[in-house]
Amino acid sequence: MIDAVYGWLDDRLNISGSGRKLVNKIFPDHWSFMLGEIALYSFVILLATGVFLSLYFIPSSKQIVYTGSYVPLRGLHVSEAYASTIALSFNVRAGLLMRQMHHWSANIFLGAIVVHMCRVFFTSGFRRPRELNWIIGVNLLILAIFNGFLGYSLPDDLISGTGIRISFSILESIPFVGSYLATFLFGGQFPGSAIIPRFFIIHVLILPAIIAGLLGAHLALIVRNKHTQFRGRGATEKNVVGAPLWPTFFAKTNGFLFLVAAVTAILGAAVQINPIWLYGPYVPYHVSYAVQPDWYMGWLDGALRIMPSWEIHLPGHMVPNAFFPAILLPGVTFTLLMAWPFVEQRITGDRLEHHLLERPRDRPHHTALGAATLSFYFVLFGASATDVLANYLSVSLNFVLWFFRIAIFVVPLVIYPMTLKICRELQHTPGGGKTKRHNIVLRSPEGGYSTVVSQARPGDEPPVLEPVPLDGPELVGAMATGADRRSSGPLGAAATGQGGGVAGASRARGVFRIPRSYR
Amino acid sequence: MTTRALRRVLVPFAVVVLAVALGVFVLGRSHVQAGSPAMENPGIQLTASAASRYGSITEGRTLFEASCSACHGAGAQGSALGPSLLARGAATIDLWLSTGWMPLAEPTAQPVNKPPRFDRQQILDIVAFVTSLAPGGVSIPSAAALNLKTADVAQGFDLFSLNCAPCHTITGAGDALADGYHAPPLHGVTARQVYEAVRTGPSNMPPFGPRQITPAQLRGIIKYVTQEIEHPASPGGISLGGVGPVAEGFVGLFVGTGACLLAAFWVGDRTEREDDEHGGGQEEDPKDGLEGAHV
Repeated sequence: MIDAVYGWLDDRLNISGSGRKLVNKIFPDHWSFMLGEIALYSFVILLATGVFLSLYFIPSSKQIVYTGSYVPLRGLHVSEAYASTIALSFNVRAGLLMRQMHHWSANIFLGAIVVHMCRVFFTSGFRRPRELNWIIGVNLLILAIFNGFLGYSLPDDLISGTGIRISFSILESIPFVGSYLATFLFGGQFPGSAIIPRFFIIHVLILPAIIAGLLGAHLALIVRNKHTQFRGRGATEKNVVGAPLWPTFFAKTNGFLFLVAAVTAILGAAVQINPIWLYGPYVPYHVSYAVQPDWYMGWLDGALRIMPSWEIHLPGHMVPNAFFPAILLPGVTFTLLMAWPFVEQRITGDRLEHHLLERPRDRPHHTALGAATLSFYFVLFGASATDVLANYLSVSLNFVLWFFRIAIFVVPLVIYPMTLKICRELQHTPGGGKTKRHNIVLRSPEGGYSTVVSQARPGDEPPVLEPVPLDGPELVGAMATGADRRSSGPLGAAATGQGGGVAGASRARGVFRIPRSYR
Repeated sequence: MTTRALRRVLVPFAVVVLAVALGVFVLGRSHVQAGSPAMENPGIQLTASAASRYGSITEGRTLFEASCSACHGAGAQGSALGPSLLARGAATIDLWLSTGWMPLAEPTAQPVNKPPRFDRQQILDIVAFVTSLAPGGVSIPSAAALNLKTADVAQGFDLFSLNCAPCHTITGAGDALADGYHAPPLHGVTARQVYEAVRTGPSNMPPFGPRQITPAQLRGIIKYVTQEIEHPASPGGISLGGVGPVAEGFVGLFVGTGACLLAAFWVGDRTEREDDEHGGGQEEDPKDGLEGAHV
């Protein structure tokens, strides 16, 4: 039966030709290559739960009197958006579960994007020919953040309304065009009645369509460029070693889809998220304390909180305070992120193709820079909870504020040399970072004790380094980059020692013009 | 014993000695200061053995002298260590004692919630004593003022959102204010405490008189705070403390994404590659693009 259907389709679509090639695609196998899949499957979960929610959500700012089942709100004036979100939470079967799964999934989606981006960054997977895919990935991150914020805003509850109010002011803070942009997006002054329907269409249609399109391009470029791989198992710059798409990778990745869905469903069922019935409807002159945006916007909120109250007064124009942490910071952040592959090419002078990944320890400065940058944004995220931290730690809010104002500079400065040191130590440690072999304590019949080391497993021995010919013709081509890189490291230098070590190593550095400072 | 080890013992010891000495000095001073005005001021003669509508003034006086007079003075007239309690009203005294704010455990910027030192009758005795010294202030609410049967809880929620949430947060979890002050959590408070706090405005909190919040409106707020704010039947699973999405973010990142990472680690390949030069797997030529797959 399946054969018959397949044959019928194949006759008309010729799927076995291109399909065979597709199912034979080789995917290098490593657990860290599955991080992007978390994001992919979270996106699938977001679409599925989001469609369910859109059946019940009413995207309208129209004020109605709440008469639903939640008693503390009965008789209050609320928007239809808020009332319908309450109704779908309390009166629709599985509605609250779907809403909570949708929200948790958004948090996981963004988390997975960031973790995936970190993997690509720390293993240098963004280098030629994959710069384009890196840029697409950064754009996916930006769009996901925006869409998360829009979704968070839709229920029109007290704290999301406060968030929209802040975003209106942030838009207004853009020099010269800000007030026009803000009134253009909001259809007039804040709050107006246009914002919920507009956000809804952007949230459920426009941005998901762009995200899906870019996601397709992101995956197509992986197919086109091939997946990167770690060294070992015979992997070289000229091959891809791994499992074929069908059946191995397909089975594994589908199992993984279910695992990600399970994590999301468990969180959605067991842990409360965004209990908007506690927050009440948004009223422009009401505000609650202890509110923050979702975590992926948290670093912006933290930046807003710890920014000193500076403004720039130009003749006839004032650049408001919110501009620096809320427009300039993300602008610089994402511009630098997108430009990073090219910036790095300028620094290292390395414009060759790379298909083998670097271990983070093999590029200590690169890794240290990434870790310091991450810590910077993590401190900002922490700063979005200044009041909550002050309350829980029973310290003065002013102290916490100043703590973060100092930590934002100190923490990255500490993280950088720490990471650098760890990387260099690992480089010098054969088998460093790997599982240590167990010591087995034996007791003899006479009662004496002795210790032996457990049997070696693959990978337990220190790596056997082979001399790398430095003057060979293959050095000129794209191939030898990875091996040669390592030969200029401490271990490699030792290995090439008999063949004229130091001179060879420095010459190798010359070929790629990698400044000492960035190794 | 090396010098370093010696120092390790001596320094904390010296710190403790200094702290004790300082404590003795400060406490001694406070007793002198608190004691002196009463001695100089025999005019404050207490109407002994009288009973007020709250309780026994004599009992209250004994308790007050034992626990309160050190800072507030024997006649509740205040000192450098504590404010005057004269004409503060019964509600203030009752609130500060029933929340455990007073007596202070330590001289912080603002007292914290703790189990009250006195039982109900003792509190009323102290109230009787302090209110007997000078009239005025807000009285302890009558049962009618706290009758929540007809109170409008939705209106109470609306007013709570407007007047209380800016400091106590919309979930009543409480939060830190500037300069070491904080808005205490509102979970587990009694109707009388809410009434007294709103009307008297303890610590940093502004008082709300009956022209700002009418008695009926106040009953609504009390009903919301005492019956709904903890949301005994709030659905959705484990509450993350009602401190906003930052807690959700931490759970989403470290539990949600973290669990997915563990799943990836479980499902994905994690063998040590570096030395395993000739493992399994199939090869594919990266230069071939889509065309180049071969089994």
